[in-house]
Amino acid sequence: MPKQRENLRICVTASAGGHLSQLLRIAESWEKYEVFYVSTLKSVTKKIGRLGRFYIIGECNRQHPFLAAIVLKNCIKIILKEKPDVIISTGAAPPCLLCLIGKLFGAKIIWIDSIANVERLSLSGRIIRPFADLILTQWVEIAGKYQNVRYEGAVI
Amino acid sequence: MIFLTVGTLFPFDRLVEAVDNAVAKGFIKENVFAQIGKTDFEPKNLEYVEALDKDMFEEKVAKADYLISHAGIGSITTALERNKPLLVMPRMKRFKEHVNDHQVSTARKFEQLGHVLVAYSVEELPQKIKQLSTFTPKPRGSEAHRVVQRIAKFLDELSLSGKS
Repeated sequence: MPKQRENLRICVTASAGGHLSQLLRIAESWEKYEVFYVSTLKSVTKKIGRLGRFYIIGECNRQHPFLAAIVLKNCIKIILKEKPDVIISTGAAPPCLLCLIGKLFGAKIIWIDSIANVERLSLSGRIIRPFADLILTQWVEIAGKYQNVRYEGAVI
Repeated sequence: MIFLTVGTLFPFDRLVEAVDNAVAKGFIKENVFAQIGKTDFEPKNLEYVEALDKDMFEEKVAKADYLISHAGIGSITTALERNKPLLVMPRMKRFKEHVNDHQVSTARKFEQLGHVLVAYSVEELPQKIKQLSTFTPKPRGSEAHRVVQRIAKFLDELSLSGKS
């Protein structure tokens, strides 16, 4: 018999800027559960600080791959400390990394690809797709291009 | 007042310079207030700051008649939520303004849906600025509740079935 689990611990993570604002539009989804937040820049401290406990992991992208080492270290620390049951993200690269590490430690991954990607999934979305337990796009045309990608609508 | 913003992450001098020039040449008659990011470029014809905190940002948006920005989702959302006419110029990889050219297709999509005006180049900007004064953005019906339901269902099922 699986153990009844009333309370999931959920990690809500997105890069500072448009990714985070998209994710916070669906905050109702996780209101019943214990949540912590992870973003990328100190500039969003005010925005997420009032929502609950949070971590800042730093930025990295294709232009600054060396920063990925710092982000990676931060991600591992957070996952080991918090052991989330579920990670919910809209991207981009650093949160994608957090999802991958989380997955290694048994977390379920919910990915909502950013609405900024209108022709195909984002690079992060394509990386996380094989590992995601639920993956949504915000454009119906994109859902048809990938087997496990669903469309429920756009958050904006 | 026109509020020009380039977003949180990188500067976007090509856009700021183009707007600065548009003021100098008289294509823009209104005052422009700009958030330009960390850059060495110094606009001469408009008031500017490097960054704004959330409250200041909201205040500038509220006061603005029109917005001009990069084709970032944060900026597009801001404009749509407040029903402000927005002109975007997409960042481009070849000018090292972003890691790829996704802002071009984002801009095109939101333009097709009638939500924003787009200048795809510096040359197009003056003409598009002219259109801002008569542009009424098409409001966007949000489907966020459907996404919320789908995710809530996933979490409900997971919490009932046990962790794995």
